[in-house]
Amino acid sequence: MDSFILNSPLSPFPIFPKSLNPVKSCSPSNIKLNPTKLPIYSRIPSKKTEKCNSLFCLTPQGPPPSITQSLSVSEKVQSLDFEFKSLPQPIDRVKRLLHYATLLPPFDESSKIQENRVMGCTAQVWLNVKMDDNGVMRFRVDSDSEITKGFCSCLIWVLDGAEAEDVLMVKTEDLIEMNIGFQSRGNSRVNMWNNVLISMQKRTKILIGERGKKEEEHKTLEAFSSLFVVNGGCKETKSRINRFGKLLKDNSMNELDMLTKNIT
Amino acid sequence: MMLTTMEGAVLKVPPSFRTIKPNPNHTNRTFRTVPSATASAPAPLTTDTKLGPGSLGHLTRPDFPILHQELNGKRLVYLDNAATSQKPTAVLNALRNYYESYNSNVHRGIHYLSAKATDEYELARQKVANFINASDSREIVFTRNATEAINLVAYSWGLANLKEGDEVILTVAEHHSAIVPWQFVAQKTGAVLKFVSLTEEEVPDIEKLRETLSRQTKLIVVHHVSNVLASVLPIDQVVSWAHDVGAKVLVDACQSVPHMEVDVKSLGADFLVASSHKMCGPTGIGFLYGKSELLSAMPPFLGGGEMISDVYLDHSTYAEPPSRFEAGTPAIGEAIGLGAAIDYLSGIGMQKIHDYEVELANYLYENLRSIPNIRVYGPTPSKSINRAALCSFNVDDIHPTDIATFLDQQHSVAIRSGHHCAQPLHRYLGVNASARASLHFYNTKEDVDDFIRALSDTTNFFASFK
Repeated sequence: MDSFILNSPLSPFPIFPKSLNPVKSCSPSNIKLNPTKLPIYSRIPSKKTEKCNSLFCLTPQGPPPSITQSLSVSEKVQSLDFEFKSLPQPIDRVKRLLHYATLLPPFDESSKIQENRVMGCTAQVWLNVKMDDNGVMRFRVDSDSEITKGFCSCLIWVLDGAEAEDVLMVKTEDLIEMNIGFQSRGNSRVNMWNNVLISMQKRTKILIGERGKKEEEHKTLEAFSSLFVVNGGCKETKSRINRFGKLLKDNSMNELDMLTKNIT
Repeated sequence: MMLTTMEGAVLKVPPSFRTIKPNPNHTNRTFRTVPSATASAPAPLTTDTKLGPGSLGHLTRPDFPILHQELNGKRLVYLDNAATSQKPTAVLNALRNYYESYNSNVHRGIHYLSAKATDEYELARQKVANFINASDSREIVFTRNATEAINLVAYSWGLANLKEGDEVILTVAEHHSAIVPWQFVAQKTGAVLKFVSLTEEEVPDIEKLRETLSRQTKLIVVHHVSNVLASVLPIDQVVSWAHDVGAKVLVDACQSVPHMEVDVKSLGADFLVASSHKMCGPTGIGFLYGKSELLSAMPPFLGGGEMISDVYLDHSTYAEPPSRFEAGTPAIGEAIGLGAAIDYLSGIGMQKIHDYEVELANYLYENLRSIPNIRVYGPTPSKSINRAALCSFNVDDIHPTDIATFLDQQHSVAIRSGHHCAQPLHRYLGVNASARASLHFYNTKEDVDDFIRALSDTTNFFASFK
């Protein structure tokens, strides 16, 4: 098994910039990464999650108390940028990505459908995106390429559990240091992490739109239900509310007008 | 004589073309110009040791300045020639000379520069015609690339000649550019596309193709050399069968024209396409060969300047081919650059290039087979079967993109990974992607050796991570 030591002269603890380094007492010789251990970043709890439902949860032994503080998306991006900048040798960056690939959370095989494919030329990538009730984004990614998995693992660490708005704030330029083997800085069929990030953001935008629409419907429904309360005495209140909800969802405005007229 | 010509080309290279400047965008890599080993005194070409010192590869490498650089402290080994070839100084000089000396628009100007540009542009057309042995330069239409050339045939000849129930026969090994345009045409006309699969030897099954032919067959679209399988199809035979049932044949010759003698008369092809950038010429230009009687009967593809005879407010009349199909200002410098590339290739001799590449292809194939758990696609080479100088392959449990990435990052070996614009073929082979090493005549035995060593290291590296 190939293990490697983080001994970059640029930083004694390259995972974090100095300002963010939560365990400054660590000496470089004590820091080893190999696929049997979680990386430094994996010891950081997800910002929005208390439960250990993310890859990047606490190790069994727990982190030093000082690193339980959460990092924002931009801080995580900064950390990644710094981390990969501190690895001048390409082979070390490849090794790091391969290590992170081993930490990618399992992907539901049933989600490997065409709709979830991130299109690119050289490797297959599937992306599953969900938004929970609190507006927090949940991402799962898989690929048939180990290096691509490594990229995706980094993206998951940054964005899984982030608020939708924070997901949209990330720019591809921010993550260029991860560009192992993909020298192109612009859009490219092979620039897989770039395509994955863009897909994450597109799907997030769609979910933001759907959430907004649902909230609008809910508000309208509440307004109508108060109307029924005002009118009171109507035996069909509950069924009418449900009917309004369905018509709103279907955008059946003509029918909705008729139903509203009946109220008065 | 050939050697004299090539030496002359080397001596004419201006110093500026020998210097490779670092690319400031590539911060992770170190670029260094490496003196070309044989630029001053190329070793004699020997026939008994085709791959040893003095081989065609060793002789011609000095003509390609881009090859003489180091990346990350390692010599660049460029094995992605099926995607695009490198350009010799003769081509770079021709482009530079055009822009420095006689850049002007063609066909319409009365002044000296325009006349000179027109002469050189049309001379390039004649060079292409001679190179593939067309009867007349008017049978050569310049296009942006081979893809546009196929689209030209599809939209012009296809839409005018195909109707519901007509059949177009292709193979599963065609490049996307030879499939998708015909899907468009089939959707518009109701014509049917029929695909021929592979034999057990992983070669397009031309016997099946023959059995599929009928009076409904109006066109066969087929590659000459496969960009994945390295197989070579007997186009003359296919054309003969097609003509027996009254069908036309469009040949995708992108992987053959740069590597072997291609003679449209002996092949009998009705249409043939190729791209400049794969044959040491510039990007942005390709060509369509079409028999005169076919081109003359075809309607225009794109409308605009150059392609008209007279324009009225309500209608226009069209120029004769090839102008009819070259709307707008053409890629003049690129055409002239292509002409220079043809001069360069012809100076070496296509048969000599082919013979050398067959040797190098066999050397690559045999050495690649020594890598554990590898699968190389396409036919096994033998005395009767020559493979083209490329190998597409997969190694068990390692994604081809991971292989290509590691080869590039750790060893400065450039190969291709992906589906190589041949997804149906990859599906047929049961894989999503493959890695591909593809050679050209300026590659050497040492390039192959370096690649094999690097690939071995790559597979060991990934195995250590399992």
